[in-house]
Amino acid sequence: MPRHITLTVAEAREAGPGIRHLTLRDPDGWPLPKVRPGAHLDLQVPGLGGRSYSLCGDPLVADAWEVAVKLEPQSRGGSAWVHGLEQGATVEAAMPRCTFPLAAEATRHVMIAGGIGVTPFLAMAPVLERQGADWHLHVLYRAGQPCPQALAPWIAAGRVTCHDSTRARRPDLAALLGAHMPGLQAYCCGPLAMLEGFEAATAAWPEGSARIEHFTPPPLPSDPSARPYRLELARSGVSDEVEAGGSLLAALRALGAKVDASCEGGICGACEIRWLEGEPVHRDLILTPERRKTHLMACVAQCASDRLVVEL
Amino acid sequence: MPTEISWTGQVEHLHITARAFLPMQPQQQIKLIAGEGIEGDRYRIGVEQGFYSEKPEEGRQVTLFEAEVLETILRDYKIELLPVEHRRNITTRGVPLNWLVGKRFHIGECLVEATRLSVPCRHIEEILEKQVFNSMVHRSGLNCRILEGGTVRIGDSIRPA
Repeated sequence: MPRHITLTVAEAREAGPGIRHLTLRDPDGWPLPKVRPGAHLDLQVPGLGGRSYSLCGDPLVADAWEVAVKLEPQSRGGSAWVHGLEQGATVEAAMPRCTFPLAAEATRHVMIAGGIGVTPFLAMAPVLERQGADWHLHVLYRAGQPCPQALAPWIAAGRVTCHDSTRARRPDLAALLGAHMPGLQAYCCGPLAMLEGFEAATAAWPEGSARIEHFTPPPLPSDPSARPYRLELARSGVSDEVEAGGSLLAALRALGAKVDASCEGGICGACEIRWLEGEPVHRDLILTPERRKTHLMACVAQCASDRLVVEL
Repeated sequence: MPTEISWTGQVEHLHITARAFLPMQPQQQIKLIAGEGIEGDRYRIGVEQGFYSEKPEEGRQVTLFEAEVLETILRDYKIELLPVEHRRNITTRGVPLNWLVGKRFHIGECLVEATRLSVPCRHIEEILEKQVFNSMVHRSGLNCRILEGGTVRIGDSIRPA
């Protein structure tokens, strides 16, 4: 089965220091699936698998998706591959997923971006503006403004404030956010240290009023209570032992199951599967309590019972 | 003696798409090609680019879905599933699709033969971001092969052969 969407690189250009911006289209120009602001695209990197990048174009544009990717020399290889793509290249991608949605019920939206973390907010901005929403975006960066072409009209409109930490002291996140008030929704996308600062600044806020999007999966704490279990695939009937703390995703694949994966850290949603029996230990960061009753993220989940049966 | 039910229905919506995952495109009319499929659709035999194209199936040349099912899914599950979203080609009204496996019937000027009931797929939940799978079980439409091709238009009658 074609598990992926085939796309053509319609345009490739620089978009700030070390940032490559791609416009992706269907090879024949057909409209692409609708996406929600805050969605990310898992590009299939040859030899590496899926790598998640936030879609940064206006979701109303039906026939093009945009991503902006910063070259990270220390990364797992995805950004280097993106930076080598030229106009006309063909790429494959999984269906976009939105794990960082806008809060529909909010009356004011305050967003904080660290560097290339601006990308999901570039997709949210036109949506909020069309809704007539009250919103503001703070972009913090050090080595030059990310995506300056996309930010320019929002800066001119007074919607975006840029904070260049090479020119002025890095602002205090709590001061940017202010005190919580009814209807206020805060968002943050950036490096781990910034997310931790954001979480600290919003720790006393009402549940759900501050949302974060990770660049890369945070390291999982080691789990001293992890135990071995028997993994069974309901459809094929095959099974195998998984050692304590072993990767469920790897075990599934060893049993012949085809499971997509991208972040492999429980934040992107690519490896979501349905479970049928057992007692999964969910260690992802995105499934709701309700969803966990039927689904798990294979990249990080473990099992607290002797046996885990999944719908594969 | 089994009772033959009497029915006539009509075409309410028409949709095709060129490739898996891409949104279905509404059409005023579609061209059915005998033994192959629909011009421009992902499951036309010979040019297949559908989600299940690696599982070839001769009887999947055109697919149908009842408008009435969309209404009952809304009523019973409070899920709004639109004609553009069920990913079958022809949305029908007044046609008892689940009764027609193995039967031949006319769609406008075309003649088709129903090969099997369609089954829902989790793939649709991925595309729609709607938890609609369970609501579609046992009423997910009909797969047909095309015996006599031609043009199908919105409003065309559907009737037993």
